[in-house]
Amino acid sequence: MLSYVKKVLLVMSLAVASVSPAMAQQIEAPSGDVVLTVSGAISMTNDGDQLLLDVEMLKGLPATTFETSTIWTDGVHQFKGVSLADFAASVGAEAGLFLATAINDYTVEIPFSDAVAGGPIIAYLMDGEAMSVRDKGPLWVIYPYDSNSLYRSEVVYSRSIWQLDRVEIVQ
Amino acid sequence: MSAIALLTYNVSKEIRLLGSARSDNVQWSLVQTQVEFLEFVQEVENDPVDLGQMRQEFDIFFSRIATVKEATVFEGLRADPEVRQHLAALSRFIDQAVEIIDAPDSELLQQTPRLAVMAQEIAPRIRALGNSGLDLYARQADAQREAVARTMTQLAVAIAALIGVLLLAILYLNRLNGRIYRRERENKQTSTRMSTVMSTSLDGLIVCDADGLILQFSPAAEGIFGFKEEDVLGQEIGSVIVPDHMRDAHDAGMERMRQNGEKRVVGKGRVKLEAKHREGHIFPVELAIQSATTDEGEIFVAFLRDISNRVAAEAELVAARDKALAGEKLKTDFLSTMSHEIRTPLNGLLGNMSLLRDTKMNPLQERYVGYMETSGRLLMSHISDVLDITRYDAGKLSTRSQPVDISALLQDIVDNQKGTATKNETSLTWRWRGERMNTVLSDHDRLQHVLMNLIGNAVKFTRRGEVSVTVENVGETDNAELLIQIADTGPGIPADLAERIFDDFVTGNVAYDREAGGTGLGLSIAKRFVDALGGEIGVQSVVGQGSTFWVKLPVTPAGPADGKPEQPAILLPTRPLNVLLVEDNEINRIVAREMLQAEGHSVVEANDGPQGVAAATETHFDLILMDISMPIMDGRAATRAIRSSNGASKETVIIALTANAMPEEQKEFLSDGMNGILTKPLSRPALRDLLGHIGRPSSRETQGMIDIGHSDQTRDALGEEAFVKLRARFVSEVDAFQNWLESGEAHDFLEISARAHKVAGSAAVFGAGPLGKTLKQIEAAAKVGNVDDIRDSSARFATSWIRTKTELSQ
Repeated sequence: MLSYVKKVLLVMSLAVASVSPAMAQQIEAPSGDVVLTVSGAISMTNDGDQLLLDVEMLKGLPATTFETSTIWTDGVHQFKGVSLADFAASVGAEAGLFLATAINDYTVEIPFSDAVAGGPIIAYLMDGEAMSVRDKGPLWVIYPYDSNSLYRSEVVYSRSIWQLDRVEIVQ
Repeated sequence: MSAIALLTYNVSKEIRLLGSARSDNVQWSLVQTQVEFLEFVQEVENDPVDLGQMRQEFDIFFSRIATVKEATVFEGLRADPEVRQHLAALSRFIDQAVEIIDAPDSELLQQTPRLAVMAQEIAPRIRALGNSGLDLYARQADAQREAVARTMTQLAVAIAALIGVLLLAILYLNRLNGRIYRRERENKQTSTRMSTVMSTSLDGLIVCDADGLILQFSPAAEGIFGFKEEDVLGQEIGSVIVPDHMRDAHDAGMERMRQNGEKRVVGKGRVKLEAKHREGHIFPVELAIQSATTDEGEIFVAFLRDISNRVAAEAELVAARDKALAGEKLKTDFLSTMSHEIRTPLNGLLGNMSLLRDTKMNPLQERYVGYMETSGRLLMSHISDVLDITRYDAGKLSTRSQPVDISALLQDIVDNQKGTATKNETSLTWRWRGERMNTVLSDHDRLQHVLMNLIGNAVKFTRRGEVSVTVENVGETDNAELLIQIADTGPGIPADLAERIFDDFVTGNVAYDREAGGTGLGLSIAKRFVDALGGEIGVQSVVGQGSTFWVKLPVTPAGPADGKPEQPAILLPTRPLNVLLVEDNEINRIVAREMLQAEGHSVVEANDGPQGVAAATETHFDLILMDISMPIMDGRAATRAIRSSNGASKETVIIALTANAMPEEQKEFLSDGMNGILTKPLSRPALRDLLGHIGRPSSRETQGMIDIGHSDQTRDALGEEAFVKLRARFVSEVDAFQNWLESGEAHDFLEISARAHKVAGSAAVFGAGPLGKTLKQIEAAAKVGNVDDIRDSSARFATSWIRTKTELSQ
């Protein structure tokens, strides 16, 4: 019940933020384990100038689901998560570069131009299951490799970062 | 090109493969395995140990190994058996480690040293895995580079080949271009040459298009037509040079050509037409038109030449020739007429001299008469020569084809000339060379004339020498050809004279002429006769040595010649005859009368045709002698009148008296109803012979239906061939009459009488007396309309005809 209320609040606040991105807005801190820390040029914050998100908060954002195979897994799997475009809008990011960093401090640059409809998602469910660290979870940037040949490139594979835990938006 | 397209496709595929690498940063991932393992080991060996951090490092390592074990990008790696061993060992380590890591904190803390030992043990495997991967991927990269290099090499070769092909194409195009340039230059030269030819051509040249519009008008054409080229370009040719009266035909011709391509003048060589000058006068041109197909369509090229002068010259020539021909004809006519006119009084002279011989004369008088007769006969022969020439030149000379005994002919001539030869102390001989060919088909009289002339000349001009005549067949088996050569040892003929010796009025030297005499017509007549017989005549001569005249004649071998005796046995009539003499010339009449009376016959004279017909109607004569050319009514008309009358002498034998009758004319005389021909001048032997036939009833006449003597006479007069034809016509005529008469139809009496009369006339010609008699009875009965008599006489006619026909065919 509480989580529901929080979700509604976040969505509302994110919606407002999208209306007036210039103004930084404070929203509630996460109640569960923080899975993603967002920093940099964003208008939504809840911990100083950064935004801490737990799984529930991510699930509260508009979800995108697709099926694709990957070069790291065997067979086709269904991935569900928040698209990078929705994510950028929700955190009040408008332009620049995503610096995405994994638990092991591996960092990649994802250009803002990748944040489009039909583009990559920050997946939190694979085949309807949450992903553990051992399964490249809990967050994994997945592109729809099967539906677009442009996504079957070395560069895109290198941007498909798993065990994601930090995102910084830089100009 | 397709090879290049294929290679290009290959290259782009390679590029795409390079672009969409499915390998991620696999080598980095493998290195990361070591890094993450070492980070885990570091956490395990850390003092104090941070359990949370250690667990996380393990999870990361776990995840990495799982990726290597599962990810498709590592399929190639996993295929290596060594790698599979490493992975299996790592899996065992992870399985054991998981139990420890997932245990509660206290237990984990207790087990950490063991975990460190396990990690130390597995560390070499991790390094080995990394090395294997590096090795493998280095090899794969090499292979890929090689593949790319190979494709690139292929592409390079293909491009080199393409460039080669392009170079060849350029070379080819270059040559093509050169050729086109050369051709263009040649074309330009040709057209320059053509325009030079055009402008210097003496013939006018006009070029038109298919619509007749003038495209070119050469300087010569300007001269011919008086137009300047710039004035007529683009104009319709018809309106420029075609005369007004030919415009319609010209337009129709152009229209025909446009409609169906019919060309009457184009391409037909030279044509003569009329053309119009700028100033309007019409003049004749000769032109040739040819068509050519060009890029602008069909064009017509006409070459024209003004032939006014030529046409005028031709017309002048034709006029001159016509005039000359007319003059020549006038001369021939004059000669012919004069000869006839001279011959008639000469006949009179000769006849009277013949009569004079029968009177009592002293020897001197007799000698004088002999001289006169010789002179008269010579004059007659000259006139005959002239007549022969005029007749030949008028195209009226015809020849007969009859069996001629060459040996007998030559022997006769030689005998005839022997006297003269002996007088000249010259030997005269003749012989066959090679195989003898006695009888051939030719014209006896003409041939005799020619040979007599040649042999006579040879004898005449040779003194104390010899004349030898040879005859031989020089032709092929099928085409016999007689070569008769008359060689003498006389004075010879100079070359210039030899060339024209066969021309008219050419004689040798004057001294001989005086001695030998001659009109200079003998050889020219001989040549004309030989020509008429289809042969050749010529002479070779050496002055002082002699001459050889030769005659070459194509002949047909024939059976034995008619056994016609040279001098027919004279038959004396058994009784005096009653003769009607129809002749307008008084002297001739007197001569003939005297001759007849001297033979003991009685003569009734008639001065012209009508008188003769009247006398014949009134009186029955045994013989009528009928002159052919008479004023008022000629002999032929008179004969027809007598035959068609019902007079007393309608069946009497009528003999034509004529000077020169052609074979065709003789046939006509017979068809008129005459029975024979006597040639003037009248000679007593000929007359006696005739009278003997008439006055002596044929022994066969009484036995048969045909008077053979009479029939033979007709046969002699006609020649065998014509006689047979005429006889066949007679038979069919009588048959037709009989059929008509017995057809059972009602006939007009007048028609019966007319037809019977006509058939009776024909029967008389063949000496079918009894048949003629029955026909006359039919005629007489029909005239008075006595049907019974007609029937009776018709029956007698039928019987008589059966017998007559049988005898005719024998």
